[in-house]
Amino acid sequence: MTRSSIELGDVTPHNIKQLKKLNTVVFPVSYNDKFYVDVLEAGELAKLAYYNDIVVGAVCCRIDSTENQRRLYIMTLGCLSPYRRLGIGTVMFEHILNYAENDGNFDSIFLHVQINNNGAIEFYKKFGFEIVDTKEQYYKRIEPADAHVLQKTLRRKNTPPNSHHQNHHLTNGAVNEKKERRT
Amino acid sequence: MPSSDPLAPKEGALFRKILKCYEMKQYKNGLKLAKQILANPKYTEHGETLAMKGLTLNGLGRREEAYKYVRLGLRNDLRSHVCWHVYGLLQRSDKKYDEAIKCYRNALKWEKDNLQILKDLSLLQIQMRDLEGYKETRHHLFTLRPSQHASWIGFAMSYHLLGDYEMANNILETFSQSQTSIEAHDYRHSELLLYQSQILIESSHLQQALEHLKKYESQIVDKLAVRETMGDLYIKLQQPEKAVPIFDALIRRNPENVLYYEQYLIARQVSEASEKVALFREFQAKYPRALCPRRLPLNIATGDAFREVTDEYLRRGLRKGIPPLFVNVRALHQQVDKAKTIEALALQYFENLTRSGHFSREDADAGAPVEPASALVWTALFLAQHYDYMRDTDRALECINVAIDHTPTLIELLITKGRIFKHAGDAVEAYIWLDEAQSMDTADRYINSKCAKYMLRANMIQEAEEICAKFTREGVSAMDNLNEMQCMWFQTECALAYQRMGRWGEALKKCHEVDRHFAEIIEDQFDFHTYCMRKMTLRAYVGLLRLEDVLRRHPFYFKAAKCAIEVYIRLYDKPLKSEATIEEIDIENLPPSELKKLRSKQRKAKKKAELESAQAAQAQVKREQHQKSKQQATQETDPDAPQLDELVPEKLERTDEPLEKAIEFLKPLQQLAKDRIETHLLAFEVYYRKNKPLLMLQSIRRARAINSAHPELHSCIVRFMKALKADSDQRRCNAHVQQVLDKANQELIGTKTPQQLNDEFIAKNNASILHLYEGARGLYELDASKKDAAINLITSFDLSKLRLEEAIKIYMALRDGDVFGECEAKAAAYKQACHNRFQYARIFRNVEELEAQLQEKVAAKLRAEQEQQLNHLDVSESAGMADAAF
Ligand SMILES: CC(C)(COP(=O)(O)OP(=O)(O)OC[C@H]1O[C@@H](n2cnc3c(N)ncnc32)[C@H](O)[C@@H]1OP(=O)(O)O)[C@@H](O)C(=O)NCCC(=O)NCCS
Repeated sequence: MTRSSIELGDVTPHNIKQLKKLNTVVFPVSYNDKFYVDVLEAGELAKLAYYNDIVVGAVCCRIDSTENQRRLYIMTLGCLSPYRRLGIGTVMFEHILNYAENDGNFDSIFLHVQINNNGAIEFYKKFGFEIVDTKEQYYKRIEPADAHVLQKTLRRKNTPPNSHHQNHHLTNGAVNEKKERRT
Repeated sequence: MPSSDPLAPKEGALFRKILKCYEMKQYKNGLKLAKQILANPKYTEHGETLAMKGLTLNGLGRREEAYKYVRLGLRNDLRSHVCWHVYGLLQRSDKKYDEAIKCYRNALKWEKDNLQILKDLSLLQIQMRDLEGYKETRHHLFTLRPSQHASWIGFAMSYHLLGDYEMANNILETFSQSQTSIEAHDYRHSELLLYQSQILIESSHLQQALEHLKKYESQIVDKLAVRETMGDLYIKLQQPEKAVPIFDALIRRNPENVLYYEQYLIARQVSEASEKVALFREFQAKYPRALCPRRLPLNIATGDAFREVTDEYLRRGLRKGIPPLFVNVRALHQQVDKAKTIEALALQYFENLTRSGHFSREDADAGAPVEPASALVWTALFLAQHYDYMRDTDRALECINVAIDHTPTLIELLITKGRIFKHAGDAVEAYIWLDEAQSMDTADRYINSKCAKYMLRANMIQEAEEICAKFTREGVSAMDNLNEMQCMWFQTECALAYQRMGRWGEALKKCHEVDRHFAEIIEDQFDFHTYCMRKMTLRAYVGLLRLEDVLRRHPFYFKAAKCAIEVYIRLYDKPLKSEATIEEIDIENLPPSELKKLRSKQRKAKKKAELESAQAAQAQVKREQHQKSKQQATQETDPDAPQLDELVPEKLERTDEPLEKAIEFLKPLQQLAKDRIETHLLAFEVYYRKNKPLLMLQSIRRARAINSAHPELHSCIVRFMKALKADSDQRRCNAHVQQVLDKANQELIGTKTPQQLNDEFIAKNNASILHLYEGARGLYELDASKKDAAINLITSFDLSKLRLEEAIKIYMALRDGDVFGECEAKAAAYKQACHNRFQYARIFRNVEELEAQLQEKVAAKLRAEQEQQLNHLDVSESAGMADAAF
């Protein structure tokens, strides 16, 4: 295999239309202007993925504080179809996971997936996600309309006020293991 | 400083202070001091003080007063070198160099050895290329100051520029012999030695030059120049074997210099293509990262060897995703078989990448690793560019659409799609794609400029300016800033857009702006005369002087000048009506409905004009403010910028002497672009209208010398004959002139009549539409009753053999009715036929169709927006997740 490079880059007002274009072709739903305004403020939570210097993927997340928890919500994570199974999704996800783990104050990462999107489900399962819920009629204009909620539980570094105590040692262990795997 | 009208010691001291103040640019103080002297009743009329007062005023930008006082001062003291010198300086700052030279000469009459004046004079002489005068002045300076380096150098250079290499070399030789102690790394000394070698080479003393370099090699700092020159000399002196190691080492130093490889091959004395390719293979192995040794063999190899090296080259480029890959091989397309090989390879890649991810079946069968996922899109792009080059619009679009579907985020694809439409004749669709490309990366200046250019091609000047504004300085209008930055491509494209729209004055303004840039560049060399002498960068200096001599040879000038000449010719042919007469169109003869239309049109036009003039006024205010702040900024530093007349479009297009103006643009072309046939064809058009038979003849002769088969030349000859006939019918010209013309007649067409000449031309060139077109013009020109025959001659030409530009040229001639008279029906039929042949070309499409298309686009955009809105609603309604979408 010829060496190809995969890199992540920031979303800026200059290249935001590339993100729009990408989302338009990767996802069956389109996003409103506010989505893109927020993305510009999202910092490390929104990234473009470059394959040999071409934008081929993007990830956009936000912090969700509903249900008395602090969770990282993956709004979009996608890759142009000719560029799938090349590890680009992995690079984007690991960036997000890294962010969450370094932050240390997230209960979990979660997202919605159309129930028939087996590829994506496989992908997330590989990273330890589980289907924790299924929302019926989640989508209005696409079929099937139901969505799974996929979630990966994280361990918080600092004890949050209304959460039970967690094993410190284990948390660090998890982070280290992650780092080793990446190198 | 001795004076013919000396001041008393006290005033003398004050006067010296004025001089100091002027040097230090303390103009206000200078004026005060001058006032003090002039206040003394004994000196109210003191010439030198008055002159200095004037010069100081000039420093403050008060030009008129400056002239008044300097002239007054001079009148009061005509024998003062100071007054003359000052007058010269004033004229110089006003760019009146010839006048300034005269003043300096007068000053020298009264003070012949004044160093400052001599130096100033020499600067003007070199600026004006008065090389003889320059030599004399340098000689004079040399005798006055033989101990100074600069005296020697300037003296030698003045001979060099006159082509007296012998003398120049002797001076330099004597000088360097007199140099006793030379420090290591003395850059100026080193430059001098190299300059001397340049003189030797230019005078064909190659052996001497080589020995000179060998002898002084250790003292020369610019090692690269020594190596390059020596290598070149060995080749020229038939000692190629000595050049081989030199170029070998130079390539090691910089493996991307094409020239080194060329020289290396010459030095190696290889002639067979295969040998050369083998040498390049060695370099490829030695410098695996270098591009040159991979690209150059493509020029040399043929047949299977070409296929092999091209295969490697293309694969590498597609694998890496090198955006200009096609541009890099475009030149090879001029050879039909090479273009075919390239196409076959690219198709093979495309097929195999789609099937297995490999470039070839062999790779797949051998189980080779797959290529990067991006190789496919680059291959599709390459194919699109290839077909576009072949003007196969349909296949080009097919390929680029495949590419865009594959990787819609790759901006190069959008640019190429726009370019395909541009080549297919749809400037509007083209700009839309460039605008899209631009919006995807608004930080990319290249795409920004490209987009602006495409907008200008679609005659969208304001939009182009707005796009450029993203990169121009804030607080200034983009148009002004682009002018300040001498952004000539933009201004020329503007001029051409205005020309297409018939806004002649605006077009001329842009052309004049470009012309002024060239004047300014020539002006700017002034600073280098002293600078280069001081730094002794003489090789670069001589190079600069030579460049400036031919500056207007630059294609940028040619383009703008051609546009200006065409516009002036058009203004001569159809002068603009004065404002008043426009109103008086035959209103009586219009039917009421038409009259109503006209009225409403006029009202609209008036409103628009009002709006425009209000905007213009506003812009003017802004400009003035900007100008002021700019002046304030430069006031102290640059008092020498004379104000140029403002270029006013309305005035430019209503000139009384359009042909004279055209000639102003033409002259530099005749001098510097005489190897381009268009120059002489344009010249003919001008002189034909001026009815100058000798100059017409001259233009025809020069054009013939370049390409006697050029189609337009024929029309020139026919019209020339016609003009001669008309002339001799009217009055006899001077006998000598007549003799010349008769001889020319003989030479150009012998004993044939113009009709015969034209018929023969048509018969001989019936396979070339452009020739037929000129033949048809001749047919009609010589006998207006042959109008139909003339038109049929060109409209019956097989359209499938026509290129788009040719079809457009013919259609426009028919449409505008100024070549064959009115022929609306024929034009309409031809348009339809062309539309079938060139379906994308806008010019052949109906206005209704275009409007419908536009409306459909707007509607589609609206639909898309609504869709988004709906989706948005979906999402926010759903499952309590405010904006979670997927
Ligand atoms: C899901 C998605 C982002 C995966 O991206 P990717 O770059 O192909 O993922 P990777 O190459 O990093 O895959 C990592 C692993 O995930 C698993 N995986 C990914 N896609 C899979 C699929 N279609 N089927 C089965 N397993 C899959 C595999 O184990 C894969 O490892 P492998 O290739 O070595 O077998 C991509 O398919 C996509 O963009 N889909 C459309 C958008 C979408 O559905 N996004 C998810 C909701 S936000």
